[in-house]
Amino acid sequence: MDFIFRNKRISGILTVLPGRTVTFEEEMGNYSFSAAKSMKLKLAMGYKEHRIARPGQCSSDFCIHGLQYLFDNGLLDKDSIDALLFVSQSPDYYMPPTSNIIQGHFNMKHDMVCLDINQGCAGFEIGLIQAFMMLEQPAVNKVVLLNADVLSPKVSDRDRNSKPLIGDAASVTVIEKSDDSSVIHANVRMDGTGAFALNIPAGGFRLPSSPETAVMEEDSAGNFRSKDNLVMQGDNVFNFVQREVPPMIDHLLEQAGISKDDVDWYMFHQPNKFMLHKLADKLGVPYGKMPANIVENFGNASGVTVPTNISYNLGDSVVEGTRLVCMAGFGVGLTWSSILMELGNMNFNQIIEF
Amino acid sequence: MEQLIEQLQELLEIDSIDLTKKFSDYDEWDSLAALSVMALLDSDYGMAIKNSELMAFKSIKEFCEYVLANRK
Repeated sequence: MDFIFRNKRISGILTVLPGRTVTFEEEMGNYSFSAAKSMKLKLAMGYKEHRIARPGQCSSDFCIHGLQYLFDNGLLDKDSIDALLFVSQSPDYYMPPTSNIIQGHFNMKHDMVCLDINQGCAGFEIGLIQAFMMLEQPAVNKVVLLNADVLSPKVSDRDRNSKPLIGDAASVTVIEKSDDSSVIHANVRMDGTGAFALNIPAGGFRLPSSPETAVMEEDSAGNFRSKDNLVMQGDNVFNFVQREVPPMIDHLLEQAGISKDDVDWYMFHQPNKFMLHKLADKLGVPYGKMPANIVENFGNASGVTVPTNISYNLGDSVVEGTRLVCMAGFGVGLTWSSILMELGNMNFNQIIEF
Repeated sequence: MEQLIEQLQELLEIDSIDLTKKFSDYDEWDSLAALSVMALLDSDYGMAIKNSELMAFKSIKEFCEYVLANRK
């Protein structure tokens, strides 16, 4: 499904990372791999270190820390927020919505919308599209998009498919109306027949967590996880990404009537360096235009990887200037989505630690 | 077939692959090797293959014949 928006801009991105760093070497002893094979895995996938929340830190804590920072530094006016979107797969509770908890924490105005969205790897794009749609309303002038995931507690320590790459993080993105009428192109595609390619089997209403779901089992590749743990069908995910993402990007650029060379940056979701380089090869985009360094430095925090990528790799270049950016997210759902827009003259674009 | 065999030898870091063997007969075979083979088929042969399909081939020769017959 294709979308077109006008007169909207991203006016700021703040990425909030856990202060705690864990290295690949600290954890590789847990995997059923020899040290030599683990080092080969590290090299091929681009693993180095990742940011892991401290026990007890939840998604909302990172969001609240980020919002408080923006309020304290005069970068965001609390009363100007007309909608608070919280995109996550690790909400604080089943009920109430985490966005309402955050609204209540700051005692925000009642004349606003709070909305939780369950999305992961494409959560930044899905959240932005939702924000753009809300901004079409006369009553909505400013939307705050919170992307947050603290999924590391759900990943087994003995799962070398997922543990080395998982990261925890949050981001606060401010989206508002703008005089700039340049067109934003976006698209979204979904395939629920692949819904379980990435999943956590137990802990919901279908299969509540119990002593049985906590039992560790070994898979054919020698990884140990329980039904309470996140599981990823790596081969299905790889094939899905290589099959679906390149034609989606081709279609997006075709809709916009621009060539691949015209795009300054391809800011994609960060599954790992291996997959991103394969994607760049297939798209015919130089590695230098598609940063792939988020997993090695911070880990993959699902929907937070694209804002982290923008904060870390573009920094002040989109505060002082303007860049044409193609963003894409792909994964759990299955969901894949992309957005082509100018990022520029932002009020802030930075990383803080919590 | 020679080119494919050479590519497999390079991926698995094996000097001379025995076509009568299965992938899993080699100590070098692991999930990372499987992913590398999937990536090779995707980029050079226009094919997608699942891990379970890779494991089902009775020999590397059978795998190579399948790839060459089904490449795009």
